[in-house]
Amino acid sequence: MGTSFGRGGATTFPGDLVNSDVIVIEGSNMAECHPVAFRWVMQARERGATIIHVDPRFTRTSAVANLHVPIRAGSDIAFLGGIIRYIIENERYFKEYVVNYTNAPAIIGDDFKDTEDLDGVFSGWDKKKGKYETRTWMYKDVDPEPAGGTRESEAGEKGQPIQRNPIQAEHTDETLQHPRCVFQILKKHYSRYTPELVEETCGIPRYLFLKVAEALCRNSGRERTGAFVYAVGWTQHTVGVQYIRSAAIIQLLLGNMGRPGGGIMALRGHASIQGSTDIPTLYNLLPGYLPMPKAKHDKDLATYLRLNTSPSGWWGEFPKYMISMLKAWYGDAATKENDWRYDYLPTLTGDHSHMNTVVDMADGAVKGYFVMGENPAVGSMNGALQRKGLRQLDWLVVRDFQLIETAEFWRDAPEIARGDVKTKDIKTEVFFFPGAAHTEKDGSFTNTQRMLQWHHKAVEPRGDSRSELDFIFKLGQRLKELYANEYGQIRNWPIRDMTWDYPEIGPLKEPSAEAVLHEINGYTVADRKPVEGYSSLKDDGSTACGCWIYSGCYRGGKNMTARRKPYWEQNHLAPEWAWVWPHNRRILYNRASADPNGAPWSERKKLVWWDEQKQEWTGLDQPDFIVKRGPSHRPSKEARGKETISGVDPFIMQADGKGWIYVATGLQDGPLPTHYEPQESIAKNPLYGQQCNPERMEWIRKDNPYHQPYDDPRFPYLITTYRLTEHHTAGGMSRWLSWLSELQPEMFCEISPELAEERGLKNGEWATIRTMRGEIETRVLVTRRMQPLRIKGKLVHQIGLPYHWSTKGLVRGDAANDLIGFVADPNVSIQESKAFTGNIEPGRKSKGRRHATSGRLVKKLPSREQDRDLPKVGHKPESKHGYKAEQTKEGNI
Amino acid sequence: MSTTVRYKNSVERVYTDGRDIDTEAGDLTGEAADQRASGSTDKHLKEQMQVWRQAPGPRTGDPAYYNVPMLNEPVWEWAIPTYYYVGGLTGAALVLGAASQMGDAGGRKELIRRCHWIGLIGAGISGGLLIYDLGVPSRFFNMLRVFRPTSVMNMGAWILTGAGGTAFLAVVLRGRENRFGAAGEIAGYLAGMFGAGLATYTGVLTANTAVPVWQASRRVLPILFGTSAMSSVGALFELLGGKGEERRLTKIFGTAGQIAEFAASVAMEKQASVVPRVGRPLKKGLSGFVWRAAMTLTAAGLVLGLIPKPTRRRRLAAGIAGTLGSALMRASVEHIGTASARDARASFQQQRAGYGAAEIARQPNQ
Amino acid sequence: MAASKGFFTDTTLCIGCKACEVACKQWNQLPDDGFLFSGMSYDNTVHLGGSTWRHVAFVERPVPLNTQTDGAFSWLFSSDVCKHCARAGCLESCPTGAIIRTEFGSVYVQPDVCNGCGYCIVSCPFGVINRREEDGRAWKCTLCYDRLRDDLVPACAKACPTESIQFGDLDELRAHAKERVEQLHERGMPEAYLYGASADDQPGTEGLNAFFLLVDKPEVYNLPPDPVAPAKKVKDAWLAAGAAAAGMALAAVGAVFFGGHRA
Ligand SMILES: Nc1nc2c(c(=O)[nH]1)N[C@H]1C(S)=C(S)[C@@H](COP(=O)(O)OP(=O)(O)OC[C@H]3O[C@@H](n4cnc5c(=O)[nH]c(N)nc54)[C@H](O)[C@@H]3O)O[C@H]1N2
Ligand SMILES: Nc1nc2c(c(=O)[nH]1)N[C@H]1C(S)=C(S)[C@@H](COP(=O)(O)OP(=O)(O)OC[C@H]3O[C@@H](n4cnc5c(=O)[nH]c(N)nc54)[C@H](O)[C@@H]3O)O[C@H]1N2
Ligand code: SF4
Ligand code: SF4
Ligand code: SF4
Ligand code: SF4
Ligand code: SF4
Ligand SMILES: [Mo]
Repeated sequence: MGTSFGRGGATTFPGDLVNSDVIVIEGSNMAECHPVAFRWVMQARERGATIIHVDPRFTRTSAVANLHVPIRAGSDIAFLGGIIRYIIENERYFKEYVVNYTNAPAIIGDDFKDTEDLDGVFSGWDKKKGKYETRTWMYKDVDPEPAGGTRESEAGEKGQPIQRNPIQAEHTDETLQHPRCVFQILKKHYSRYTPELVEETCGIPRYLFLKVAEALCRNSGRERTGAFVYAVGWTQHTVGVQYIRSAAIIQLLLGNMGRPGGGIMALRGHASIQGSTDIPTLYNLLPGYLPMPKAKHDKDLATYLRLNTSPSGWWGEFPKYMISMLKAWYGDAATKENDWRYDYLPTLTGDHSHMNTVVDMADGAVKGYFVMGENPAVGSMNGALQRKGLRQLDWLVVRDFQLIETAEFWRDAPEIARGDVKTKDIKTEVFFFPGAAHTEKDGSFTNTQRMLQWHHKAVEPRGDSRSELDFIFKLGQRLKELYANEYGQIRNWPIRDMTWDYPEIGPLKEPSAEAVLHEINGYTVADRKPVEGYSSLKDDGSTACGCWIYSGCYRGGKNMTARRKPYWEQNHLAPEWAWVWPHNRRILYNRASADPNGAPWSERKKLVWWDEQKQEWTGLDQPDFIVKRGPSHRPSKEARGKETISGVDPFIMQADGKGWIYVATGLQDGPLPTHYEPQESIAKNPLYGQQCNPERMEWIRKDNPYHQPYDDPRFPYLITTYRLTEHHTAGGMSRWLSWLSELQPEMFCEISPELAEERGLKNGEWATIRTMRGEIETRVLVTRRMQPLRIKGKLVHQIGLPYHWSTKGLVRGDAANDLIGFVADPNVSIQESKAFTGNIEPGRKSKGRRHATSGRLVKKLPSREQDRDLPKVGHKPESKHGYKAEQTKEGNI
Repeated sequence: MSTTVRYKNSVERVYTDGRDIDTEAGDLTGEAADQRASGSTDKHLKEQMQVWRQAPGPRTGDPAYYNVPMLNEPVWEWAIPTYYYVGGLTGAALVLGAASQMGDAGGRKELIRRCHWIGLIGAGISGGLLIYDLGVPSRFFNMLRVFRPTSVMNMGAWILTGAGGTAFLAVVLRGRENRFGAAGEIAGYLAGMFGAGLATYTGVLTANTAVPVWQASRRVLPILFGTSAMSSVGALFELLGGKGEERRLTKIFGTAGQIAEFAASVAMEKQASVVPRVGRPLKKGLSGFVWRAAMTLTAAGLVLGLIPKPTRRRRLAAGIAGTLGSALMRASVEHIGTASARDARASFQQQRAGYGAAEIARQPNQ
Repeated sequence: MAASKGFFTDTTLCIGCKACEVACKQWNQLPDDGFLFSGMSYDNTVHLGGSTWRHVAFVERPVPLNTQTDGAFSWLFSSDVCKHCARAGCLESCPTGAIIRTEFGSVYVQPDVCNGCGYCIVSCPFGVINRREEDGRAWKCTLCYDRLRDDLVPACAKACPTESIQFGDLDELRAHAKERVEQLHERGMPEAYLYGASADDQPGTEGLNAFFLLVDKPEVYNLPPDPVAPAKKVKDAWLAAGAAAAGMALAAVGAVFFGGHRA
């Protein structure tokens, strides 16, 4: 989403789905996982919208949708690509929108070669490094100056160069006819994604596919809009980001972005998971999507700023945000002379995403680990490897409500029950802190629609339970105390100088959450008055701001996030309910809801428009645009920064203000989504010689073995994992609660009657499910909701596994994640947990060694690793292909 | 109001208002933190419910929900069927006692005394059984705080109390040479009236339910219970080994009961099976076996009792067979009710066949 | 007396989330029902009972639902509850008067009066009320009597995200429900109908204060097609009892007068 539109967040909010004429829910089981937000979908249905659910399983969402489309897990790009082709071939795109608001007319450099030309890889594939050199993907005659850091992408060596020249297409063809223009490249790229191909790739009958394509096209245009809804059914693949890109392309072609009832609704999972990317818990970002400095090239502030300040578009404001943040962190110690203490920031030396950290733990490189509000022993891939990692730690801190599996791995885990590992051999020191629940603390959630919503403390936390805020604050205080007599050493100055002065309130003397919000909002240093918003931030040290995108949430000293005026007392956008970043804009890119001249595309779908009298943008929502910049404005050639935004550039965060159908820069694995098979598939890639995403991250280790790329005789079935309404993720908040536990009391698998027959499985009885990583036992739920798909005449069976259970709690069962290996998307390091292969047999058969961490589980077959990657483009790369972790030190266990 | 209960696997008794809130603290220690499976609460359902072994789906013209029961089955265990028997015996004995008071009762003094004693002891045991079933003695009196003709059970509570009370008066007063004696005489007659109610109302009690087989048998059940009560009195006197007039008299009474009981059972089977699915528990399964056994025993008792020239052993055998037969008859009624409540299709088919509310619509006078 | 309140449960809006079940248990602090994997679709609580006062049924059918899914399959959800019958079998049979009709028209069990006799259990034609083993008393939905007294909507209705459970004045609910059925018929779902909305719909109970919109036979949801409050038929039984009592008296008198003399 970030690369297509400019920001990573959902472009709309669930309440706006009532305005949709068609809603495609794909890669999400919205009714089960977001039941409250789903009310809006139900209301849309009652108003006559068509609800389509594309999912491998028939779920509670499918049950109330107008149409359920069963799909083979891991094949969505073929399906969406088919829709793109349908739109183009039948000329169903919204021409005016496409020409003006997207980069479809842009002409691409002559060196660019498509996957159609290279059998599944794009130009720039570096067979030595096993990764792309992406310069050939650029617009013609635009040189983004390669030396550089990265913005919003990966760390260190994996980073994409950040441009220094404005990225504005130098050449365009508004007729969309030029053979090198994005539109024609797109057309050619998807020319083979025919309904027939969709059928044989995804297992979706042609007539069903056409029904969906037609419903989408029929409900788009001036008068009608459609929305896409996705969640982790899309993201958790080795091509996850490209799934979402495919939807972005469709929505841009159909002209559905920035308009009521349109957009792409990314459903976030955990409470405030959006918040934890905005003010990130991610290793490679600072608050507000400012990149973490890289050890390799961000040597000093000037370089860092130079490499990250976009010459065009909104990111031209970069220094203001960065310096205000440093000012908030280091207060008076941060001065212009000392580069605002930029040198205090840690710098990145490599990829420290979750799975890398885990293997580092397992290999003894990571000594200590904080786990706060997470249960990785259950929720993370390859549970046994995760627990192996925990066993190698010196110390582990767990903060949670319950003694979850992650805190109890040393005495309650499958390998301990089996006797493979003995408690007395584990040296990890585990500290458990009881956490306070959201009802026991003040604070905000940032939910799926980028909305900050305040919650007030209802009761004091019991016993020793404390909030995270309190814990971190007191930890900081203690660190300051501890190092106070070592401040002579420069390396301790960051601790000395960090501003850590929140007022302590209440009977428990907890830091004031509102004071933190005040800092996040930002203030003028002189008088500590809250700033109005990020446009007030300065790069001269006169303002401090903890997170620029949240600036405005405490405007005028008022906690905007605590506003509670319901939508029925205002309009359906409810601008006075809580607060939304940026600038309380509810629908992003809403400039696109008006035509190039600034008038709404239609009365029915009006949202924001240009007011000729007042000479400003106005409407139902806060305009996501420069308010005074008229539709006719065109920037001069010399313009820099946000001055480059013209009156018809709705995507103001993009370097060229356009919605990117084609991503010229910013992605690791290609400018256009291309169908690749999952790491482990039941089929050979029907389109290209290249089987899998060539850029995927792999961890080749004995304790993380992979199956053969396809047709592995040992693992003939496709498995997908997901959630149930009745439980929450790794179970810490549901398996300890009787009322939820009784609703889904045991781990089970969902299979079709056909598969049950084939394998002799009986409803309600037991089954053993096996991969090379581990074995689990589950109850069997035979249901017609799972239907085998016919792919190239062959029946493909899918096994569905909820992943909520493990060894603790009121209800217990085996953990699905003990089956899944580490393998990830190259852009965001998200694991592939939605499609992998495995085997199932009746009965409780797992015994002896059940995890790869304790030795091999199945008989070895000749490796067919070479089948995953295209032999023609230079055999298997000599160096590491994708990211491959070092061999484990205990190499030969 | 709060009561104390002891949860399974727990030693202390705790106060509860039935909602599991710790009433002393006023709240839970961490919401629902203390909620534990205190044994399956809807035990009767879960005990017999089995994990569903087929994939759900195939449609038949005769749909049901995974074959789980539609009704909640009777929670009454052994105490209530036993009460049916004891209460019936009590009631019928009091009727016989009252009848024996009539006319020249001189030769029946012993019989009358015995009947009244049976009434008194029987009523006592009956009360005890009911209290046992309720768990808390004081709860019995909750029924006597109101007079509710719509509730057969409430009527029953009054009838039992009346029968017990009058039997007591009859026992202590009757035969006194003063004015209390007359009161005792009247009490005896009243006890007979209550007894007639006591012996038959239990049939109404079971009939007045949603349990399909009971509802279908509602015109027979009170008769079955009444006649069975008679036969149990007859059987008891066989066992007690009465003599002379007492013996002849109770024999006639009991034999009439047994014949009628047998006839009523046959009639009940017919009534219940108008919709075949409803009558199934009378023919199939454990309940069907018990039902048949009860009928057979009654018949055996009858035949044994009718063979001329009775010996002591034969009389004993007849008494035992009769007693077992009529006791088992009540137990089997309980069994068939439970089986019927477990069979959702019995209700469904009964109602689809026009024997739900539609049945009353066909009888406008009701 | 307040206007009669009740529920209209529109099963076509239900998404099977069980929020109602959990909200009910939470508000009423009910214990769990045991952790039993039933194998019955997503239904693991199986039935209404003493500690489950809301229960969501999951029906997997190999037939499509009109206007909804393509293909030959559909999945129905329905949140069941005490019907608060206009003529309530449980109430009529209760020997202690523990079950009363409240000012909201609901059927309420007073826990301090109930003696646990269990008669209501067999008298409910829907299998709703049941006895709890721990305290031996009968329990069922209270229509959130405590919340209604404080002008709050029942917990289950409040929690329902899709307005499948609608709470309100019965007259309004009935009118709205009728419109809804017509609307669905127009939209091409002729199978939609109301269950127990009025005495005409369901004479045996004289109408339900918690009624439903269903799209398949009642049996499919484990609901009786033509339920009847047992007391409506009790006259037959009393007559029989009268006859039995008379017969018994006659037999006794007969025995006394004809059996006494030695032949
Ligand atoms: N009740 C409940 N709600 C939750 C959570 C919970 O645990 N319980 N978790 C929260 C969290 S953390 C998150 S991230 C969200 C997740 O919300 P969702 O993404 O909606 O949840 P999932 O169940 O993981 O996956 C969604 C669906 O993706 C389907 N799927 C699997 N593979 C594919 C594929 O290749 N293509 C397509 N099109 N579909 C596929 C699965 O069958 C599943 O139905 O839910 C949040 N909400
Ligand atoms: N196979 C498979 N695996 C998956 C997924 C999948 O779809 N398939 N989904 C993935 C996704 S999207 C996610 S988000 C993860 C989730 O995985 P985890 O985040 O590991 O799992 P949770 O159970 O949500 O862990 C949250 C913990 O935080 C605790 N907690 C809640 N509130 C607080 C608080 O205020 N303070 C503290 N200290 N603790 C608190 C809870 O008790 C709980 O134990 O699982 C991932 N794993
Ligand atoms: S659990 Fe919370 S966030 Fe999730 S759907 Fe329910 S109310 Fe919304
Ligand atoms: S449904 Fe049953 S428990 Fe509820 S009021 Fe009617 S008879 Fe009583
Ligand atoms: S169990 Fe309680 S509520 Fe039910 S009939 Fe008996 S006294 Fe009434
Ligand atoms: S009305 Fe109250 S008691 Fe009844 S089901 Fe709803 S929440 Fe439970
Ligand atoms: S809360 Fe509403 S939508 Fe959810 S199961 Fe209950 S009735 Fe259905
Ligand atoms: Mo998530």
